[in-house]
Amino acid sequence: MADVVIQATNLSKELTSSLLRRKVRILSGLNLQVARGETFGLIGPNGAGKTTSIKLMLGLMRPTEGAAEILGMPAGDKKALAQLGYLPENPYFYSHLTGREFLDFAGQLFGIEKKERSERAQELTKLVGLTEAADTQMRKYSKGMLQRLGIAQSLINRPQLIFWDEPMSGLDPIGRKDVRQILFHLKEKGTTIFFNSHLLPDVNEVCDRVGVMNRGQLIVQEDVKNISQGGSYKDLEDFFLEVIAKAEAGGQARS
Amino acid sequence: MTGNSGNIDGKQAGPKVFEPVWAIALNTFRETVRDRILYALILFAAIVTVLGIVLGSLSVGQDIRILKDIGLAAISFIGGIIAVFAGTNLVYKEVERRTIYLIFTKPVSGWQFVLGKYIGLCLCVAVMVAAMGAFLIFVITAASGSAGFAEQLRQMGQELALIYLELLFVTALATFFSTFSTPVMSVLFTLAIWLAGHLGDSLFELGKLTQNPVISQFLSVIFYCLPDFAGLTRIRGHLLYGTVPGIEVLTYLVTYVFAYVLMLLVLAAIVTERKEYT
Ligand SMILES: Nc1ncnc2c1ncn2[C@@H]1O[C@H](COP(=O)(O)OP(=O)(O)OP(=O)(O)O)[C@@H](O)[C@H]1O
Ligand SMILES: [Mg+2]
Repeated sequence: MADVVIQATNLSKELTSSLLRRKVRILSGLNLQVARGETFGLIGPNGAGKTTSIKLMLGLMRPTEGAAEILGMPAGDKKALAQLGYLPENPYFYSHLTGREFLDFAGQLFGIEKKERSERAQELTKLVGLTEAADTQMRKYSKGMLQRLGIAQSLINRPQLIFWDEPMSGLDPIGRKDVRQILFHLKEKGTTIFFNSHLLPDVNEVCDRVGVMNRGQLIVQEDVKNISQGGSYKDLEDFFLEVIAKAEAGGQARS
Repeated sequence: MTGNSGNIDGKQAGPKVFEPVWAIALNTFRETVRDRILYALILFAAIVTVLGIVLGSLSVGQDIRILKDIGLAAISFIGGIIAVFAGTNLVYKEVERRTIYLIFTKPVSGWQFVLGKYIGLCLCVAVMVAAMGAFLIFVITAASGSAGFAEQLRQMGQELALIYLELLFVTALATFFSTFSTPVMSVLFTLAIWLAGHLGDSLFELGKLTQNPVISQFLSVIFYCLPDFAGLTRIRGHLLYGTVPGIEVLTYLVTYVFAYVLMLLVLAAIVTERKEYT
């Protein structure tokens, strides 16, 4: 691939459970490449290792084995971080700040000039539909409003690459549609998008490629086009259920 | 390129490295100042001071010195409570609430985070000490008449500065513990060390009393490792009687406290940088 933006090589993570001192492998041998401008959707059952993969790519966690390279730099490199946006799963912010104050804070962490910061905050609160709540303290935000602010803060530095962990969770149908539109808009501008979600119709609509993860392993990668047009599956959900069922059956046969 | 890059090129120019520090400091300051508990504490300090006046004027007539003593003790105590309780939660809360994810996935280093948190809390403590100090000065002036106001102000300023110097140390201690320990444990550690610093020479005496060479060695090591807060309190005592301590003593203390604070913050930054956020 010409311009690889995300490169994971044998990325693996073990955690030691403190009680039994037993090692638990929560991600094993992830090999993945995402090209510039591509939209990649990671799907999989709860606990499959999707969030773990993102945290390793951002450098929040360190791999037990293997490595991740982001924009050609090691995971967690400050220069790479300056150019990407991250939406955590169930984002929690400072309840004492207003939405606008938080966006300003996020902008400051990137070293963006004051005037620029306030312009972007204005623009982003509008984009995610928080204009009216921008000056309300976040303790009074609903779950969906926090999610919207999370999306806004992940775009404050105009990133060329975004990692979104379940961007649609907690959103009403209008919010979900807004997020799809934001994703399309970012795609148009050439932003590379890596996200995970349980909402398969949304994934189907916006992604170029999907990866299915199960029990810490990436078991399939496929172009969304091939799934929908191949004829063997009714839709992405059908594909997903079948792939997981097959993996589980195989796993049982082995053990 | 995508054509949507901002004005960030990933390089941090000279003064730019302090931008995140300042942002985090301001955020911490806001968080602490917007906490209602703070105002309850300040109210408490005001009540103690006023009570001090009432008692003072009843028992010893117009003895301003007692009033000052009580007032300054109250300020030192309340400032200490803020430093210990806010400080021990400082880093811990960010990890617990996962707000730290939002910071360390942006181009921010461990030292910038720790320094920002520390400065923010120190600013808050400074404002509190100044506010309570201003109230005390007002009360004392009201009680003693405006004669010698300038002198009064100078003396109180020096006292408050020394109190603040001590609180800078306590805040750093609390910040350090909060990077790896739960708030309850951090409070215990911080208070223990703070108290030990106040024992000063008594640690020596205690060591001799035990007649056990191991314990006595141990206690004297502790004595040499900790800032001599008993010394600081002695200086404050002298100040109350109008004796200004020698410049060498002050320089020594200030340097010592700052070096100690710096060391604690460096350690805290290393811990924060090495930690994994699962
Ligand atoms: N801090 C942790 N301590 C122990 N186990 C953990 C920790 N974090 C994650 N795990 C385990 O790692 C596995 C993968 O978790 P992860 O959060 O990556 O799943 P996920 O695919 O994001 O799931 P979901 O769809 O529910 O968000 C799970 O089995 C989980 O129990
Ligand atoms: Mg997850």
